[in-house]
Formats: sequence, structure tokens, C-alpha cells
Amino acid sequence: MSHAPEHDGEKEEKVLESWERAPLPERSPLIAGILSIIPGLGHIYIRQVYRGIGYLLLSLAMAGLTYWAHITTEFEPFPGLITVLLILALLFWAWVIVSAVLAARQRRFAPAMGLIVVLAYTYILGWQATEVNLQKFFTEFPDTFNIFTRVMWPWRAAFEREQELLIARADFANPCPEEGLPPQEPGSGDEAWIVVEPNCGEFARYVLGEGVRPGTELTVRGGGFLPDREVEIWWKDPIGQEFRPIYEGETISAMTDDEGNFSVTFGAPQYETPPQAVGVQIHEVQARQVTAIGALRVSENLELAINRMIVTIFQALMATSFGIVFAIPASFLAARNLMYGTLPTRIIYYVTRFVMNVARSIEPIIWAVIAAVWVGLGPFAGVIALTIHTIAALGKLYSEAIESIQPGPIEAISATGATRLQVIVYAIVPQIIPPFLSFTIYRWDINVRMSTIIGFVGGGGIGQILFQWINQSRWSAAGMAVWLIAITVSVLDYASGELRKRFV
Amino acid sequence: MLKVENLTKVYEDGTVALRNVSFEVADGEFMVVIGLSGSGKSTLLRCINRLIEPTEGRIIWNGVDITAAKGEELRKIRRQIGMIFQQFNLVERSSVLTNVLSGRLGYINPLWSLINYFPREDHERALAALKRVGLEDKAHNRADALSGGQQQRVGIARALMQEPKLILADEPVASLDPVLAHSILGQLEQLNKEDGITVICSLHYLDLVQRYSTHVIGLREGRLVFEGDNEDIRQMTDERFKEIYGEEAERIGTGSIMG
Repeated sequence: MSHAPEHDGEKEEKVLESWERAPLPERSPLIAGILSIIPGLGHIYIRQVYRGIGYLLLSLAMAGLTYWAHITTEFEPFPGLITVLLILALLFWAWVIVSAVLAARQRRFAPAMGLIVVLAYTYILGWQATEVNLQKFFTEFPDTFNIFTRVMWPWRAAFEREQELLIARADFANPCPEEGLPPQEPGSGDEAWIVVEPNCGEFARYVLGEGVRPGTELTVRGGGFLPDREVEIWWKDPIGQEFRPIYEGETISAMTDDEGNFSVTFGAPQYETPPQAVGVQIHEVQARQVTAIGALRVSENLELAINRMIVTIFQALMATSFGIVFAIPASFLAARNLMYGTLPTRIIYYVTRFVMNVARSIEPIIWAVIAAVWVGLGPFAGVIALTIHTIAALGKLYSEAIESIQPGPIEAISATGATRLQVIVYAIVPQIIPPFLSFTIYRWDINVRMSTIIGFVGGGGIGQILFQWINQSRWSAAGMAVWLIAITVSVLDYASGELRKRFV
Repeated sequence: MLKVENLTKVYEDGTVALRNVSFEVADGEFMVVIGLSGSGKSTLLRCINRLIEPTEGRIIWNGVDITAAKGEELRKIRRQIGMIFQQFNLVERSSVLTNVLSGRLGYINPLWSLINYFPREDHERALAALKRVGLEDKAHNRADALSGGQQQRVGIARALMQEPKLILADEPVASLDPVLAHSILGQLEQLNKEDGITVICSLHYLDLVQRYSTHVIGLREGRLVFEGDNEDIRQMTDERFKEIYGEEAERIGTGSIMG
């Protein structure tokens, strides 16, 4: 673009000069270079004003960001980061100077180079500022894998069976009474039974300087349980507290044989008898067998998630409906073709537009925080938040539909001798109903998606329990909620797409 | 008999669309209005059914002053005047049948019409009208699914529903290709000849004017600059032609496009 035209004489030269960034009058490359000590000034001098301002702003941004990277405590910079940034900034500076000098001589200087320097600067700093850590990303994934699989496939926790508890008890005395105790008799028949041998003795005890002194070794035998299932040993003290005793670091359990009998040996647990207890204390040893029986049923978590999902869908429905009620009148006030005629209506038009724009630019999640303060946590807060956003969004879309009405049908229906009301019903309404419906369905779709998130900040619905479950690390439950949301949203997305196709 | 007397229309922005235009149309005529775009043809047609309010002058139709009519009376006049438009002006998202039925709105009980109820005989009338324009199988299509020529025929069917004594046609074929133009104007001619409906039609193509008109008026900058019959148009000289279309207009051979 620099060389002068070689043919056709003066006329073409003039044409070219009028659009080329030619120096008129001639600009000195030397002055351009010197002025570029302040980046951009040189370009402004050679009449490339916008380019010059752009370079100046870019340079200021680079200088400011480099300083910020130096002083900030937001992240841990890798060694030499500041040096690298400084070098890039200086490279850019140098590039601007050279480019100004060459531009004064109507030549361009490797524009790609300037761009590459700026991009390198941006992404190096961006990588650091957002603390991108690929090492963590890959090496620590396996730790997440358990959570990840439970979220992705939570359905094992979605169903459960009714549980039956088989329980058998036997007494254990501490200390052994002087007269001794009669040995326990094994049970018979279908009832579950256990015996403890011996049925009295000492608990494990912590002795200063010696450590834990083990308790009497006990053997628990039992029968009448379901075959080939686990039996847990529990302990109940004289004041009725139940606990699972620990023996050698593990809770105690045994497997029944194919006739439902078992036997397990362990030391009496560590137990501090309160000093005010006098005489022989009777404890109870229990053998418990928990069995799942009956048909599969929906787990409590899944049931809760489903309930909340339904609430969420209704939240979206209510918010959309309330939104429509207010958006329709608002949309007429915001329709240019209806309101632009006289000054007062034009003022109303601008005010309505402005209010709707502000309301729309504030995310529903922020409205939800405000609404939760206003009416308390729960679904209603979510409905308020979504309603406000819906009014603003639908109001705008509706008003655009009104603005795009064709005047032709109005004229044609009037010409048939129709009344004003008939003209509205036959010429205007058919034109606005389909877009209104389409926008409304679309909005409901958005509201369902939004209401799941709004629960995170106290807007009720499924988002609220999802947030709870995530905080409690109940990944299967959270996974079920996530799945329900995904299923609902995609079904609605598909349905609304189909509906909209029919109306538009 | 339609009598237009000293009709003048000045728009709010000061544009003078019609200046003191007077003419008469006998019943059963096929009258064509010619003139450049912006010469006042559309304004003139719309003054006749008062879609546009004339500023001055009177329009008398069979002894009734249309310009003085108000409310109910005006609607009763309008329902006897069918109108078809260059852009067809159908409600595109409604069905063809609904569009045709809407031609009946001036006759039926307004309350019933609000819930989209039309008497049985109106349905039959609508299907008959569609049959007449050759679209009986399109009754339940959406209007915008039809081609331009078909949409204009729906427009004619809608006008027919009004049992009109007069049809105003504002550039009915300007959006259509020449073959379709003959088909549409043929339909209008048939209504004119068979049913005795007076037609007032604005047109652009000279050969169409020669072929269909029985009476022609020419407008230029809102003034009536020509009035004659079909024969006058056939024999129109270049000077006369330029009076209507301005000095810069050239006649491009016989049967050519004007304006």
C-alpha cells in the first residue's frame, strides 16, 4: 500500500492519497521514532491517531500489569516471571518505535510480531494469575475419581431395600461375682441366640506406665441367624449406651455358616466403670445381623431429589407466569412503534427500556440473594428472583415482537368493515401470539435451568439440597440431583424446541 | 355510480398526495389508474374506502356521501367495497381459511367473531370462494406457505366474502411475474364481467392496461392529467405519455413497462 501509482498520472495518485494513510505533509521518521519513547505518540504524530491511542493504552496496560504481578499476593509467581514480562513489554516498546519510524516512511513493520509479543505477554500472565497447574490437573485426578464416579453414576444409592434387624443378647458381668455365674445355655428353635464364654471378667484398661492391659478374652457363639451373612458384635453398658467395641483396631464381626451358626473370639473392650458404681455391673453383648429384605424401593435421597425437582419445575412455571403478567403491559410501553409518537409517551418508553435493561443485566443469582433477605430462604425467594429477570427479558422480547408487526393486515382487515376490536383480534393478535408463545416457552426453559442454580444462594428447589449435599460430601446424592437436573433440562429443551418450531 | 369531487389529500408532513381530483366511475366499469410511484394512486384508492381520510372533497357512491360517513355507517359502506393489495396483506401465520373468513367480519356478530366463531354458511361461502380462485385444497395451509400468486388469490377470495359491489385493487400484480399477473387480472375481469362488480385498479404495465381496462385515469404529482377509455390508451402519443410520466420517461416500444 506504500508505493506510488505508476500509471494513469495525477488523477489516480490523488484518489489513492485520499484514502491511504499517507503523511500530508511529510512526517519525519526521526521525530516519529523519538516521540515513540512514549509509545503511540509517534503514531499520533504521523496521523495514525487511533492506532497510536491503542498502542499507548496497550503499553500502559502492560506496564501496570507488570507492576501488579510484582506486588500482588494473589498468586505465587514462578521465578523470573517479572523478568520475562519486562522483556516482553520492552520488546513491544521497541516494536512500537520501529513501527512508527517505518510507518513515517510508509512501510509496515512485521505486524504479526507486535501481536505475538502482546499475546505472549497476556497468556503468560494469564496462566499465572489463574494459577493453571497441569501437574495437579493430571496427578491428582485419581483422588477425585471416587467422587467423580459416584457423581456420574449415583444410582446404586438411588434404590434400597427394607432392612430387618436380627438381634440376640447375652449378659456379661464385671467383675466376676464371688459366687460365680451359671453358664449360659445355647438357644434352640428358630430364635437367634448367643452365649458368651466366659460370661464375666475384666475390661481392657489403660494402666499408667504399662499401656493398655487387655481384657478377658471372650468367645461369642451363636445360632439361629441367617446363613452366610455377616454378624456384628455390639455392646450395651448398664446405663443403656450401645456401641461397637473395637478389638485390635477393628470393629468385631463374624460370618455365619450355612446353618446360621457362628463363633468369634475377642478381648473385652476398654471400658471405664464410673467410680460411683458399686458391685457387679451387668453388661449386655449383642449380635446383630442386618438383612435387606423386600423389594427395591426409592431411596430417601432420590425421593427428596425428585420432590425438589418438581418444586423447581413449578418455581420456573410460577416465575414465568408472573413474568408474563407484568411483561405484557411493560412490552407495550417499551414498543417504539406505539410509544414514540408524543413526548410524554416517549419518556415512558425510555424509562421502561432503561428499567428493563438494568433489571436484565443483573443476574438472577444476585436477585435471589436479595430476595432471600427479603422473604427468607426458600422457593418463594427463587420465584421472585426469576420473576424479576423474566419481566425484563420477556418485556424486551415482546416489545420487539410488537415493533415488528406488519401494518398490511391491519389495513386489510379494516377495509372489510371490521370493528376496531375485530381488527385487534384478527390482524394484530395473530401476529404477536406466535412470537409471544415462542419467547415464553424459551424463557420457561431458561428459568428451569436458572432455578437449579438459584437454590445455591437460598432460592429453594433442587439447587438448595444439591448445594447441601456437595458441602456434606454426599456425592451419590449430589450425583442424583445433577442427573435429575440434566434429564429435566434436556427434556424441556427438546420439548420447547419442538413447540417453538411449530409456532414460529 | 362513484363520483369523486375535488378530492385533495395533504399529509401531516405537508406532502400533497392528491390535488383537486374529480372523476366518475359508472357501475360495471374496469377502471385503471396509472401514474408513477408516488403520483397518488394508492392514496386515491384508500380515500375511497376511507383507510385514509381525505383533506377536502367528497366521494359519493350511489348517492351516499362516503366522506361524511361515521362509525357503523362507514363500516357498512366498507364491507361492500373489497380491497386487494400489492403485498397481499394476509395474516401470514393464520390459515388460508381464517384469512378468507375475515372478509366476513363486517357482516357477522362482533362478539361471536372475537372467539373465532363463524356461522356455517360463512364457512361454506369461504370454501366456495376458495374454489372459485382455485385454492379449495389449500384451505388449511398457513397463508405464508403459499406462493405469491396463490396469496393474491386468497386476497381475492377474502374480498369476495364481502359480496362487494366495488373492488379496489392497489397494484395487485406489481409483486408478481407477468404470467401470474394475467391470471390475477383475469380473475378480476371475470368478477367484473360475470358478477358486475365495479373494479378500480392501479397498474404499472402498459400492456395490462390496454388489455383489461375499460376506463383509464392518469395521475401525476397528485393531479388528474389524463382520462380516457381503452381506445385512447392504445392510441396514446408520446407527448400524452410524457404528460403522465414526466419528461424523463421514455416509451420503450409497444406493450412495455411504464414507470
